[in-house]
Amino acid sequence: MRPSGIVLIASAGLLLLAARSIAAQEGPRLPGELVWTIGYDPKTFDPAKVDDQESETVRYLTAGVLLRFNRLTQQVEPDLAQSWTVSPDGRTVRFTLRPGLEFSDGSSLTARDVVWSLRRVLLPATQAPVGEEFLEPDKVSVEAFDDRTIVVHLPERVIGIGKVFDEIAIEPAGRPSDGRVTSGPFYVSGYRRSQNISLRRNAHYFDKDVAGHALPYASGIRLDIEENTEQEIRLFRRGDYDLIDNLPPDYFELLKRTEPASVRDLGPSLNTEQMWFNQSPASPLPDWEKAWFRNRAFRVAVSQAIHRDDLARIAYEGHATPAYSFISPANTVWYDRSLTAPHTDVAEARAALQAAGFRRQGSVLLGPDAHPVRFSILTDTDNAARLKMATLIQQDLAALGMQVTVVTLDFPALIDRLMHTQDYEACLLGLENVDPDPNAMMNLWLSSSPNHQWNPSEKTPATPWEAEIDRLMKLQASTGLDAVRRQAVDRVQQIVADEQPFIYLVYPNLLVAYSPRLEGVRPAVLEPHLTWNADRLKLRGQDER
Amino acid sequence: MSLRRGALWLLPGLILAAAAVLARPGASYAYQDRETVLAGSSLQHPAGTDDLGRDRLVRVSGALLISLTGSLVAAAITTAAAAGVGTLAAFGPAVVGWSAMLVCDVFLALPWMFLLMMVRAAMPLTTSPAHSASITFLVLAALGWPACARAVYRGAVAQRTSGWMLHARSTGLRRAQVIHHILPNLLPLLIPQFLVSIPAFVIAEANLGALGLGISEPLPSWGGMLFELNNSAMLLETRWVYFPLALLIVVLLALEGAAAEA
Repeated sequence: MRPSGIVLIASAGLLLLAARSIAAQEGPRLPGELVWTIGYDPKTFDPAKVDDQESETVRYLTAGVLLRFNRLTQQVEPDLAQSWTVSPDGRTVRFTLRPGLEFSDGSSLTARDVVWSLRRVLLPATQAPVGEEFLEPDKVSVEAFDDRTIVVHLPERVIGIGKVFDEIAIEPAGRPSDGRVTSGPFYVSGYRRSQNISLRRNAHYFDKDVAGHALPYASGIRLDIEENTEQEIRLFRRGDYDLIDNLPPDYFELLKRTEPASVRDLGPSLNTEQMWFNQSPASPLPDWEKAWFRNRAFRVAVSQAIHRDDLARIAYEGHATPAYSFISPANTVWYDRSLTAPHTDVAEARAALQAAGFRRQGSVLLGPDAHPVRFSILTDTDNAARLKMATLIQQDLAALGMQVTVVTLDFPALIDRLMHTQDYEACLLGLENVDPDPNAMMNLWLSSSPNHQWNPSEKTPATPWEAEIDRLMKLQASTGLDAVRRQAVDRVQQIVADEQPFIYLVYPNLLVAYSPRLEGVRPAVLEPHLTWNADRLKLRGQDER
Repeated sequence: MSLRRGALWLLPGLILAAAAVLARPGASYAYQDRETVLAGSSLQHPAGTDDLGRDRLVRVSGALLISLTGSLVAAAITTAAAAGVGTLAAFGPAVVGWSAMLVCDVFLALPWMFLLMMVRAAMPLTTSPAHSASITFLVLAALGWPACARAVYRGAVAQRTSGWMLHARSTGLRRAQVIHHILPNLLPLLIPQFLVSIPAFVIAEANLGALGLGISEPLPSWGGMLFELNNSAMLLETRWVYFPLALLIVVLLALEGAAAEA
């Protein structure tokens, strides 16, 4: 607190910045190598144990899989498997491998390796997150009929089973290597903690382009570990990095001025930004506040008072789309265009509040129990756009007489309040959707789920509409009929729009930048947006391997 | 010398100007003019607007007054606490003095940034922005007194062994009887400590705000406005983004100058 202490802290900060800058100064790239960044060190290189985004990045680039979910067409395609079939009851999946497959060390890849890899992720001891997607992994059996044929028996139908195999790396039987021996386009050749990960080209990769040239084109990939966006952009502009995925809107605008040829706004992403009120009976909030938050008219009025266009225009500099549903228009298969949702109408919001027993006293709104309507909106410290949205909503709700306090907390403290103490009134956060299938959102919508944010872990559904959501989500997860699934998901979207347990605000646009020298880029709304076809990316003028 | 004298006049001038800006009809530090986001200088907004369309001049004026008032109060609390603890430690029994200085050392060794984060996380969420500002400065004062107390302790020990004290004791006066003469003798030490603390608290609040831990929105604060400088994209939008930083430097120089002159 003394001036000398402050100088010391400032000096330490500068030294830290200098050290970070030096750490990020990597050597020149190798011939034919692509370079971009990831935000943090992967938690694991074991493809079976991937549970975080950066581990998934490495797995995606290195793992050979039976089936690949094409991020552009959103269709499941054979990868290591030459063909695959699912029985009419959905309980038997049969794969036939391509002939002559090899791992990156030159050893043969046979059905034995596939059976070993599948059984490994199904074993409880492996604790593979992907195992849970088989619903009952302990009852799944895997057999090899010959060197190229594998059959998987499931205890019950699993919706979207093809995509599950997109997440299972086929490794050499009995030789798990943490990505160093793979059947995918690249393998891990080096890792320097907090600095970078080096991937090298798998010379034994099976795939070829239409002209018959072996893939991947690039001789390797270097993933620099860099969480500082400023630094990442500086090095991108200098040509050290070839691409930037998920640019913040303000930096997108900055790059647009200086490197207009390198940036692209891909339109709405699959992600949503939303706010919700705490409706948990276990929360330590006073009863009158709980009553407001459970009141549908109150939630709808709040939704109607929010100027989503302003949120998109100001908080995201125009790079966001107003949101009214949990499914983004980017999700062309499941987005319901006939959805009716409460749009901005402050006069109607005021009238609805009055009808629900709320009344104005001067500039202050009083609840039915005469308490002034005063609450806080919680959001995370590190997201500038969310803080801006919360501050804009603060002024929007003041028009209804609601006094809103905006509180920012660091993420661990925020999660503690949401998941454990439930000591909060309203929260503004986002949800990243990596899978367009609504089945992936079961943990959000089932009332018994701990991630059912507005009222987690309900023993029985608290309201009839939550019971209906439960029924519909279970129905869509169990039926094999696309029309029935579609109808159920549309109905859930409508219930959510009517009841507003989540008040959807915007779909942030997907903003990316890539070097004009980078060839083969075909941006997709699904992750990894720019590098889903990494085996076909190369820098113009660099053909060396 | 003339610069320091100028600083003595500059500070009241800045305070008066800030008060005049805030007293203008229609001046609001929170109102978002959403059609003029990040606007440049105009008659309506002489220093332009911020990224939410709020008048930058009004916000900077508000931040200046809040920061100076809070820092003044925090410095007064710190100096009073330091005077009490330092004098007690010097003139009390040896064990009290030793314990008081141990407490000072423990406070100085505290990782105050984490402590502030914990305090912030534990605060009721409905704490109004005004209360959050008060709490921020009170926490700063609570953490800022030990260094000052150590200085006062050394000064008080010097007084204890000074000629006038020995003379007074030799005439038969007990310590308790002379202690009220101590404070006037410590004033030459306390006043500079007080004056030096003010800019330190101004900077501390700005640091906290820049980390998102200070005064909450929509109340303006130096830190909140300096936070904009963290973003190179924003720096290209408008040069007025540097205005809070420039004024903060002027205020700090004026405070240092005033302290030196005093």
